[in-house]
Amino acid sequence: MAEQLYNAIFVGSIYALFAVGFALVFSVLDILNLAHPVVFMLGAFVALFFMSTFGVPAALAAVAAFVLTGAFGIFLDRIAFAPLRRRGAPPLSAMISSLGFAIVVIRLMELRYGPDLVSYPAGSLPQTVIQIGDARLDGLRLLIIGLAIILMAALTYVVRATQLGRDIRALAENPRAARLLGVDVDRAVAATFFISSGLGGLAGALLGFAYNAIYPQMGTPYELKAFTVMVVGGMGSLPGAVLGAYILGIGEIAALVFLPAEFAELRDALAFGLLFLVLVIRPRGLLGHRTADRA
Amino acid sequence: MRFRLFALTAAVAVLLAACGGGSPGAQPSNSTGPKADIKVGLAISLTGAANIYGPAQQNGAKLAMEQINAAGGIGGAKIALVVEDDASARDQGITVFRKLINDDKVAAILGPTLSGVAAGAHPVAQQAGTPVVAISNTGVGIVGKCDYGACDWIFRASLGEETALPAALKAAKDKLSLKKVVLMFESDQKFASDGAEIFKKAAADNGITIARTIPYKTADVDFSAFVTQAKGESPDAILASGLAGTASKVLIEVGKQFPQGLRVVGSNGFNSPAVITAAGAAAPNMIVGTAWNKASTDKTNTDFVKAFKDKYGSDPDQFATQAYTAMIVLADAMKRSANATDKAALKKALEGTKDLATPLGAFSFTAEHDVKQPVFVMTVKDGAFVPFN
Amino acid sequence: MDAIVDFFRVYQTTIGVIGINALLALSVWLTLYAGQLTLGNAAFMAVGAYGSALLGMRVGVPFPLGLALGAALSAALALPLGLAVFRLRGVYLAIATIGFGEIVRVVLLTLPFTGKALGLNGIPPITELWHIYLSLAVVAYVLWRVQQSTVGRAWAAIREDEVAAASQGIAVRRYKLAAFVAGAALAAWAGGLSAHLNFSIEPGDFGFTRAVQILVFAVVGGTPSVAGPILGAALLTALPEILRPLKEYRDIFAGLILMAVIIYLPRGLVTLAELRKTRRLQEIGVADVA
Repeated sequence: MAEQLYNAIFVGSIYALFAVGFALVFSVLDILNLAHPVVFMLGAFVALFFMSTFGVPAALAAVAAFVLTGAFGIFLDRIAFAPLRRRGAPPLSAMISSLGFAIVVIRLMELRYGPDLVSYPAGSLPQTVIQIGDARLDGLRLLIIGLAIILMAALTYVVRATQLGRDIRALAENPRAARLLGVDVDRAVAATFFISSGLGGLAGALLGFAYNAIYPQMGTPYELKAFTVMVVGGMGSLPGAVLGAYILGIGEIAALVFLPAEFAELRDALAFGLLFLVLVIRPRGLLGHRTADRA
Repeated sequence: MRFRLFALTAAVAVLLAACGGGSPGAQPSNSTGPKADIKVGLAISLTGAANIYGPAQQNGAKLAMEQINAAGGIGGAKIALVVEDDASARDQGITVFRKLINDDKVAAILGPTLSGVAAGAHPVAQQAGTPVVAISNTGVGIVGKCDYGACDWIFRASLGEETALPAALKAAKDKLSLKKVVLMFESDQKFASDGAEIFKKAAADNGITIARTIPYKTADVDFSAFVTQAKGESPDAILASGLAGTASKVLIEVGKQFPQGLRVVGSNGFNSPAVITAAGAAAPNMIVGTAWNKASTDKTNTDFVKAFKDKYGSDPDQFATQAYTAMIVLADAMKRSANATDKAALKKALEGTKDLATPLGAFSFTAEHDVKQPVFVMTVKDGAFVPFN
Repeated sequence: MDAIVDFFRVYQTTIGVIGINALLALSVWLTLYAGQLTLGNAAFMAVGAYGSALLGMRVGVPFPLGLALGAALSAALALPLGLAVFRLRGVYLAIATIGFGEIVRVVLLTLPFTGKALGLNGIPPITELWHIYLSLAVVAYVLWRVQQSTVGRAWAAIREDEVAAASQGIAVRRYKLAAFVAGAALAAWAGGLSAHLNFSIEPGDFGFTRAVQILVFAVVGGTPSVAGPILGAALLTALPEILRPLKEYRDIFAGLILMAVIIYLPRGLVTLAELRKTRRLQEIGVADVA
C-alpha cells in the first residue's frame, strides 16, 4: 500500500512537471499549446545528444535540456503563435497552428532518430536504490519527486515575487492594459514560453532518465492527462495544476488498487468521468479563479 | 455564389489527387527485348503509430528482391518492388491496396503492417483476386477463418500468436513449474487483446491459474503501480501482452520490483532488440516465443544475416526477416507457377509451398494458408536473444 | 475515359472519405455557428458507426433504417449531455466534450458486444458514393437555408454575445441545444456511412485525434459559410494522397501547409474570397484599410 502511494506520488510529479508548463501558456495567453508534448520530447533528446556525443553527465545534460528547449519555446512562439496574435486571430487558430508545428517537428525527429525506442548510453544514469524498511525505492525517482517540488516552488516564487512574474500576470489579465502600463509585453511573452518549454523539456529529460526509453511520440500520451489536470486543478491556476496532477496520479492508482478486477478496464473512464463532473459541478476547478464564462 | 467557390475548389482538389495518383507504372509491355518487370506491392506503415516496424520490413523485402534479381530473377524477368505507405491508417491501407492492384497492376502484395489495417485492406485484395502474403499480422482472423467471409487469397508468413504464445508458455511451465501467474495486457490494442485471450486459454490448457488480470492502456505512462499490483499476488511469473513501447516499461518495472528476477512471458511485442536495450539489466527476465532464432547456424539464416548486415550496417530483426522470407516464398511460388503474373496460378503455387529453406527454418503453408514453421522460445542473455532452455 | 475509370477505382475510398469528412466537418460547424466549441462529435460518430453496424449485422436492420436509428441514438445521448454542459463556454466546453468522447471510447472498449479492442470486422461494404454525396448535398442545402432563417440568425446572435441575445428574448438554451443535438445526429449519420465503407471499425478510430481532426477541417475551411467545412474537409483529406509522391516527407509538408493556411487565413479558407473583396474595395477607396 505504501509502495503504491509512492508510485502515485511519482506519477503525480510527472504529470505536474508536464502540465504546469502547459497551464502557464494557457493562463497567460489563452492558448492550448498542442506543441507542448514536442518540447517535452525534445528535452529528452537534447539530453541524449549531450550525453552520447560529448559524454556530459546526466545532471548537466538536464540543465542543457532546460535551456535549449526554453529557447526553442521562444522560437515556437515566433513561428506558430506570434503571427496569429498580430492578426487578432481567435485562440482556436493558435491551437491548430501548434498542431501543424507539432506534426512537422515529430516527423523530423522520427526521420533523424527513427520511431523506435532509444536509450541513453549505458552506465550514464544513476542506478542507486534506497532501502527504507521493506520498500526498495529507486533513487532516481526520489530525486525526480524532489526536483518537481523544488521546481514548482521556484516557479511560484518567480510568478509571485519577481518583476518578471508581475509582468506575466499583468499580461495574463489584460495584454492591452499591460502594454499601456509600460510592461514589455514581448519580453513577458518570450519569458512565458521560455519557462513553459524549459520546464517541459526538463520534465522530458528527467522522465527519459527514469524510463531509459525515449521516442519521438513520447509526449502524446501526456496531452490528454494535461487537460484533466488543468480542469480539475482549476484553469488559470498554477498551484491548481500541480494539485490536479497529484489528484490525478493518486486517483488513477487508487482506482487500480481498489476497483474489483471486472471493472479494471473502466479505470480510464473514471479519470474522464472525474473531469466531466468537475466541469459540470464546479467549472473553475479546485483552485481556479477565472470564471467559466471567459472563453 | 459560395457554392461556385466550393465547386471550383472541390474540382481542383479532385484533379490534384488525380495528378498525384497518376500511375507511373502503366507502360506498354515490350514483346521483344528484356522481359517486363514483375511487380510486387509492399504496403507497410512507414509513418504513423506502427512506423517502428515499416522500415525493417522494407529493408528485408528489398534485400530479398535484389538477391533474387541478381540470381536471374524469375525466368529472366526482374522483380520490381512497389512500396507504399499506409500511414498506419485503415482507409489509406484500402486506397494503397487499390492503387497497387488497379494502377500498378501488381502480381501480389506483401503487407500491411498492422492487423487493424489488414481488416480493411485484405478484403479488397480478396475481392480483386490478388494474392496477399501477410508479413507481420499475428492476430486471429487473418487467414483461414476471416470475419469478412472467404479469404482464400490471403496467406500468412508471420507466425501467429495463437501458435507462439502457447509454445512459450508451455516451455516456461516445463522448465519453471509455473502454477500461479498474473496476466497484464494492453487492453485498447486489438493485437494485444487477442494475445491476452490466447494466454488465458493456454494457461487453462496447462493447468496454470491466472491470479489476476491487469489491463493497461497504450497511453499509460508509468507501470510501477501495475507491477506492484501484480507483486501483491506473489506470482510465479507474469504473462504480458502488449506492443513494444509498453513492453520495455513492464520489464523495467519488473526488474526494479523483483530484484531477484521474475520471469515475464511476453507476446510478439517483446520480440524486438529495442526492447532489450531499453530494458537493460531487466531484459533477461523475458521469455518470448518467436518465429526466428537469429543465432541459428542454418546456412540459409547465416547467409541472410551476413548479407543484411553488409547491406544495412545492422543486424536484422524478426520483422525484416519475415518480410525477407515472404519475398523468397513468393519468388519460389512464381518460379513454380506456369505464369508468374497469373494470379490464380500464383495462388495455387503458393499453396504448394513445402519445406522451403528460409531464415525462419523449413517453411510451408498449412491448408488454411498459415505459416508452418518451428517455434523458437527465446530469452535474453548478454544483450541478445538466445534460446530458452 | 479509361484513366477516369481507373482513377475512381483506386480512389473511391478517398472520395468517399472526403464526403464523410465533409459531413463531419459540417456537424462541428453547426455547433460552432451557435457559439459552441465541441470536440465530442467523434464520439457521436462512433455511436452512429457502432449502432448502425451492430443493428445491421446482428439484428438485420436495413441500411437506411440503421443509419437513422444510429442518428436517433446519438441525438438521445446528446440531449442530456448538452443540458449538462450548456453553461460552459469556450475551452471549458471543449474539454468537457473531450471528456465525454473519452468516456464513450472506454465504454466501447469494455462492452462485450462491441468487440472491445478488436472492434467490428467484416462489416458489409454497402455504402455507395451516391449515398454519401446525396446526404452531403441535402445537408449542405438545408444548413445553407437555415443559416439565413430565423434560427440561423438566432444562432449568430448567440455566438456574438450570449447575454445580449438572451436579453433580446432569444431562447438561448433551446437554440444551443438544438445545434448541439443536430450536430450529434449528423455526426452519427456520417459514422454509419463510414462504418459500411471500410469493412471494419475499432474504438481507436473515434478518439481524441479524430475529434481534433474534424475540428481542424471546419476551422481551416472557415466558419462564415457552409462551404467552408466542406472545403476544409476536401483539401485536408485529399492532402495525404496528393502528397503521396513525397513518401516519408509527406507529414512534414502536411504540417507546414496546415500552419501556412491557418496563419495566413486564420478564419479559414473561405475568407480568401472576403479578403479579395476587401482589397478590391480598399483599392477603390470604399473600405477602410484593415
